[in-house]
Amino acid sequence: MRKDKKKSGLARLLELSGQKKGLLIVSSAAATIQALLTMVPYILIFYMLKELLNGRITNPDIRIWLAWAFAAVVLSGVMMFIAAMASHIAAFNILYGLRCKITDKLGKLPMGYLRNRSSGAFKKIIADDVERIELFIAHSLPDTVRALVLPLVILGYLFVVDWRLALMSFLPLLILVVAASATSGSKDFKSSIRKYHDSLEEMNGGIVEFVRAMPVMKIFGQSASAFAKYSDTVTAFDGHVKGWSRLTAPPWAMIISFLTNALLPLLAFGLYLYFSGGLDLPVFFLFLILGVGYIRPAFKLTTVKGEIIKIIEGVKRMDEILFEVEEQKSGIKPVPEGFSLEFRSVWFSYVDGVDVIKNVSFKVPQGSITALVGPSGSGKSTAGQLIARFYDLKSGSITLGGVNINDLSTEDLMKHVGFVFQDNMMFQQSIHDNILMGMDKTREEVMAAARTARCHDFIMQLPDGYDTRFGDKGIHLSGGEQQRIQLARVILKDAPVLILDEATAFSDPENEHLIMTAINELIQHKTVIIIAHRLSTIADVDQIVVLDKGELQAVGSHGELLRENQLYTGMWNAHKRAKEFEIVNETSAGEKI
Amino acid sequence: MNMLRNLIYILRRAHARLVAAAAGEMLHGIFLAAPTGVLLFIIWELFKEQPDSRKIWSMVIVLAVMFVVQMGVARRVVVKTYHAIFTMTAKLRLMLGDHLHKVSLGLYKKREPGDLASVVLQDVSTFETIFSNQFQNMVGALFGTLFLSIFLFVLDWKLALLMISAIPCAFLCVVAATKMAEKISHKHLGSRTETGSRFIEYIQGVQYLKAFNLTGDRFLSLKRAFEELRRNSIKLEAAFGPLVITSLVVFEFFFLVMVYAAISRLDHAGGATIAIPAFVAFLVVGYRLYTPLQLVVASYAELSYMNTGLKRIRQILETPVQDSGKDSRLDKYEISFENVSFSYTDRDVLKEISLTIPEKGLTALVGASGAGKTTITNLIARFWDVQKGRITIGGVDLKDMSSQTVHGMISQVFQDVYLFDDTIYNNIKIGNPAATEAEIMHAAKKAQVTEFLSVLENGIHTKVGEGGAKLSGGQKQRISIARAMLKDAPIILLDEATAALDPENEIYIQQAIQELVKAKTVVVIAHKLQTIRNADNIIVLQDGRILEAGNHQELLESNGLYSQYWNTQQTTRGWKIAAGSH
Repeated sequence: MRKDKKKSGLARLLELSGQKKGLLIVSSAAATIQALLTMVPYILIFYMLKELLNGRITNPDIRIWLAWAFAAVVLSGVMMFIAAMASHIAAFNILYGLRCKITDKLGKLPMGYLRNRSSGAFKKIIADDVERIELFIAHSLPDTVRALVLPLVILGYLFVVDWRLALMSFLPLLILVVAASATSGSKDFKSSIRKYHDSLEEMNGGIVEFVRAMPVMKIFGQSASAFAKYSDTVTAFDGHVKGWSRLTAPPWAMIISFLTNALLPLLAFGLYLYFSGGLDLPVFFLFLILGVGYIRPAFKLTTVKGEIIKIIEGVKRMDEILFEVEEQKSGIKPVPEGFSLEFRSVWFSYVDGVDVIKNVSFKVPQGSITALVGPSGSGKSTAGQLIARFYDLKSGSITLGGVNINDLSTEDLMKHVGFVFQDNMMFQQSIHDNILMGMDKTREEVMAAARTARCHDFIMQLPDGYDTRFGDKGIHLSGGEQQRIQLARVILKDAPVLILDEATAFSDPENEHLIMTAINELIQHKTVIIIAHRLSTIADVDQIVVLDKGELQAVGSHGELLRENQLYTGMWNAHKRAKEFEIVNETSAGEKI
Repeated sequence: MNMLRNLIYILRRAHARLVAAAAGEMLHGIFLAAPTGVLLFIIWELFKEQPDSRKIWSMVIVLAVMFVVQMGVARRVVVKTYHAIFTMTAKLRLMLGDHLHKVSLGLYKKREPGDLASVVLQDVSTFETIFSNQFQNMVGALFGTLFLSIFLFVLDWKLALLMISAIPCAFLCVVAATKMAEKISHKHLGSRTETGSRFIEYIQGVQYLKAFNLTGDRFLSLKRAFEELRRNSIKLEAAFGPLVITSLVVFEFFFLVMVYAAISRLDHAGGATIAIPAFVAFLVVGYRLYTPLQLVVASYAELSYMNTGLKRIRQILETPVQDSGKDSRLDKYEISFENVSFSYTDRDVLKEISLTIPEKGLTALVGASGAGKTTITNLIARFWDVQKGRITIGGVDLKDMSSQTVHGMISQVFQDVYLFDDTIYNNIKIGNPAATEAEIMHAAKKAQVTEFLSVLENGIHTKVGEGGAKLSGGQKQRISIARAMLKDAPIILLDEATAALDPENEIYIQQAIQELVKAKTVVVIAHKLQTIRNADNIIVLQDGRILEAGNHQELLESNGLYSQYWNTQQTTRGWKIAAGSH
């Protein structure tokens, strides 16, 4: 994003959400008309007073005035409704556009960026920050229009009637506006708002963590008041809002006092003029009624000012967190014919200065199976994720069929590479949709994939079969079952390249065998990279790549590595020992109860 | 009204000291109403044949003095009100947290954690914001209206009555608006929650969505949630709007009617039944009678929105807590199930189970997924309460013990480790907040945590990231074992599959587990049967019933499900990825 073209506040909101100003203009126009109409009762009162003081109160025209006034009141109500609806619809459209934009953007950010922030912080943006915008657009905007129009019209009218008094009635408003802008623009005020946002974010994080970790909280007796992160952030937030209220109280008190007594200068001056014979009583009354009537709506401007600062701050934060982060660039080159994979001098780090992959190069011929092995922290899982472009390389390249994956469009890359991740993720939608994952496949194909992944049988036992919604009450799938659903997804996708993180949920005695068979069917005739944890599993693959602390140690077959590579041999021996593990709790080992 | 009841319920629970704040607001209300009173007096005086200018000027001075005093009063009142409200919401947040801690985990099965968290986050925040803005308006409306109507009554009770009758009419409109909006407001809140949950799901599953090109618009369930939220938001506004605006129009209408009535009387009797000054007072001041009320009505949508949040807060606070029993100390830890049946929803997961888990013995639970293994351990930890039968530890019914007592004697090592976004050190310390640094380091060592500390930038004081994102599964697991060691509880509930989380480090976790279970009452959920060959008692479950039980040898000999499992596992142990076969 270019700095010079950057918009802020409302303009930026419209830009982000892709909405037009039309509805906002309608709302403003209606609000203007409504503001003008609210004057009608006041003017009526003025004329009645005039008639009254001239002894003409029995004038039959007065009833006609009343009828007109009533019509004006009704019309004002209609205008109010139009203004409100237009601004609300505009607001909700903007919110909708904004939310879509944010989620779209989140999907384009590198994984590393998402991993480093708590989901609570993102949720605050999508829920709280975005909602606050609604309040501003839907309510504050028409209010602002009214607050601007009404004083201008009234003051104009009053100036025509008596400029001296008009000047006097203008005085409180002038002081108010100056005072309000002085306080709300101050440094203290701005930094306090920033702190408020930070503190709220922290509290959100603490609360979300507390609720999500409830089983742990229970077992370790951590109640909300004992769990420091919960109680401390709540207390800290309390402190912030209290500090905030202390900061805003004096100006607020002044404003409210001014508002209540706004007619004081006018009253004094008017009385002085009246007693010195320079003022008609009806004109004086007109000023007493109208001269301060406009101040309250105009005063809304001062709160609007605070709102605008909050909104600008909120939008800025959104920009900082979401829109100023570099998106992953993707190319437009067509997908290659072949599907060999190659790492060429790949360097990668999650954080600057700590290289996780160091100058790694190896080749995976099309249709062959390569296993990545290494102790934990060796970088093997990272290497797998780099092929998915979850992260971008520091230097070097990864090629698919000879084409750099950065030159392919992300969509194309994802279409040709299938992933089986270490952990499972089920979405709260039907089992069918959980397998389909938006792919262009028929229901029959979904079911065929489910059969291959050995999940058809347990799916059929669910209350609504494939249409059972995951996450509904009483719907439970074990880890192994979820793993098989994940397999079904990948089988359905049938991509020519497969990255397989040898999952850990294979340890279900009943499921283990089923999953293994399914995987063996899946990998036939594909270019496969297996991130292997259990060495016995991959002893027969075409090629094994041994990584250690991010560096390539050796490449070869199981037999070759056993002969030549110490690290591999050590790992192999440890693995064999682990397989023999038996739990013994010492008291029971000897004596049986 | 409903809202008032909810409000009172919550104010009481949160021990809100709002009385002083309300008194302050009322005091301030005098200042708010004073100028109108003074104005009335001056008008009255001006209409006299011979206005007393000295009286009038002295009133102006009174007003000026009150203005100065008000500035001081208002400042203190504002601070007092805000502080009272913020103290209350802070208390409310803590109270909700503690309550959420005391209810059965069943609540978390029924409602998503995201949904529950949003009550503490959003609903309380909404309440805080709206209530602090409206409190002044409400007290002001109540007091100001009362004050002015008394004034007007004294002047001319007929006209005053006419004006006041606008209030019930407007009120009726507002009630009707609420009724109309109730249903849609519920829907609206539902779609807000749905949006939140779908969004969290989106963030957490983003790598899966990326892998299937499903980010942004293409993840339909989130997009639909957004759309639904937009539609319901607009509908809610459209339902509220007309009637609320009508009620505002009602006020104006009644004012005009009052003017008409007054003129008619002037007409008929030539100004005899109503004094001109009184009429003028009504014209000038009467219109102000409604201003505070209009303010409240205009914010009615806000208030009822707040009320929906209050309802949700109340709903949580009214969920019964589990903590019924008393604190007690046991000296025996034999666990026994007597005819226990249990269901999470309506399908029985455990059916009339009776079993005994001997003290300081090793008991293994074996069975297919869904057989009820995890449920048994969940019930021992009293995450849920049994519906039929009873569970005892050391002869005492779980329900007769405080949950603190129960949780105090149990340690759990399960597959899903929850680590806090804090240092490794503090994550271990949760096991026993009173532990010394030496004790923590000792537990870390025994649980093989120290083994991987050297590769971390800050050793044991390295932050683990949200949910332990920066660590491997096996590393997280070892931290959770260290926690359990530090806690040193007599009963250990263990999922054996945890060792498989990090196969490269399997051996370390195994050693850690070995340390942990020494001389404890241990219940193991077993997957690899090899691991539990030595168990004193192996319980084989199928569909929530006990199919067979005994030690390894006995079960092999009886040739049942266990021996079947054993044989399959012996064959699959040699599983290999078959390169280029068929």
